[in-house]
Amino acid sequence: MAISGIHLTPIGSGDFLLEPTRSLDIGNQGDLIEGVIHRMQRTKTQRLYYDLAELPVIDPVYYGWLNALARACQAVNVQMVCIHMQPTAAFALSHFITETPHFRTALDVARRGEN
Amino acid sequence: MAKKVTQANKLLIEQLKLQIGHISDAIETQGHSVFGTSNLMSTDEITDFSLEFLELMVVLLDSNNPLDHHLPAFNALRGFFGNMSKQILARGGRMEDFVRYIQFLQRCLIESLQEDKQLNIDDMRSILLLLSAVFNELTLSVFQTYLEEKENTITAQQEELRETSTPITEIWDGVLTLPIIGTLDSSRTMIVMEALLNRIAADRASAVVMDVTGVRSIDSQVSHHLIQMVRAVQLMGADAILTGIRPEIARALTSLNIDLGNVTTRASLSDGLKEAFRRLGVQVSNTKA
Repeated sequence: MAISGIHLTPIGSGDFLLEPTRSLDIGNQGDLIEGVIHRMQRTKTQRLYYDLAELPVIDPVYYGWLNALARACQAVNVQMVCIHMQPTAAFALSHFITETPHFRTALDVARRGEN
Repeated sequence: MAKKVTQANKLLIEQLKLQIGHISDAIETQGHSVFGTSNLMSTDEITDFSLEFLELMVVLLDSNNPLDHHLPAFNALRGFFGNMSKQILARGGRMEDFVRYIQFLQRCLIESLQEDKQLNIDDMRSILLLLSAVFNELTLSVFQTYLEEKENTITAQQEELRETSTPITEIWDGVLTLPIIGTLDSSRTMIVMEALLNRIAADRASAVVMDVTGVRSIDSQVSHHLIQMVRAVQLMGADAILTGIRPEIARALTSLNIDLGNVTTRASLSDGLKEAFRRLGVQVSNTKA
């Protein structure tokens, strides 16, 4: 079952790659989270890579969505790792977050031992 | 008043034309003593300058109102002096000498009027007022050029300082070092962060060692900027290691109630590098031992 605004691709070793598309509506967080978790539980996913390559800026609303998804992943024992964060997004995000995010970050999928 | 100016112009042009050789010689001689001895201008340049100045002056005086600063003739004369002052500054000349030279040009023109015995007091006053107005404007435009040049130099130096203040080096594959020297204010933090984050993305760096040995003092703003930088590096997916925290900085951080719990710190840059290598699985050993 496809989730609107999200491409979910299995990339092996129990890992999934989540690529948000332009049609992603984060106002509908509850249904999105339910869809993603359902899909991961079905495939026994261990780690979810969230690709941020197409996002030049992350605002507090989008950050809230990322944190909510990461918390949901933690609840089902899946580790969420945000990858390909753009310098502009990291710059903007570092200015308003005050706590450690619920997701981990890494340069890309191939990298081991991410933060 | 306009009529008097026109009359004064004509008389001045007449004198300029009559004594062009004498005035040109005087200007050239003075030019040689001011610029020639210090090699600021060549003999040919001084000659060209004298001729062009007199030509432009005659064109200006020939216009309806030489005091109109928007006249093309006035702009041409102003541009001519502006370019010359730029040239002299670029060659290491002093602005005072150039301004004195402009005053000399004015004196030359006034002295040339001595030859005309028919000039009455009114004519003389009009000419003096006209000359002083024109030359005052020229002096101002030269100072304007001087200030612009100085500002350009300061901007270029600031740019250079900014570049040298963020010497981000890839010391190993995927390991960047950033020594921070001096004070971290908001604008500098933005520059450093921008350069650092772009470098992480470009080099696919896995670890960044930020050395603050050169930071003499720290306040809540600076520490906030430091933590912001560390957080941004971590968000990019790289490890941030803070090194070289001096005792007084550590004390200040404690009194400022700054929590470095999420930040990896090491005593020195070498310790920081060792930690980065350890995280990358790189082992450095002494083969002679």
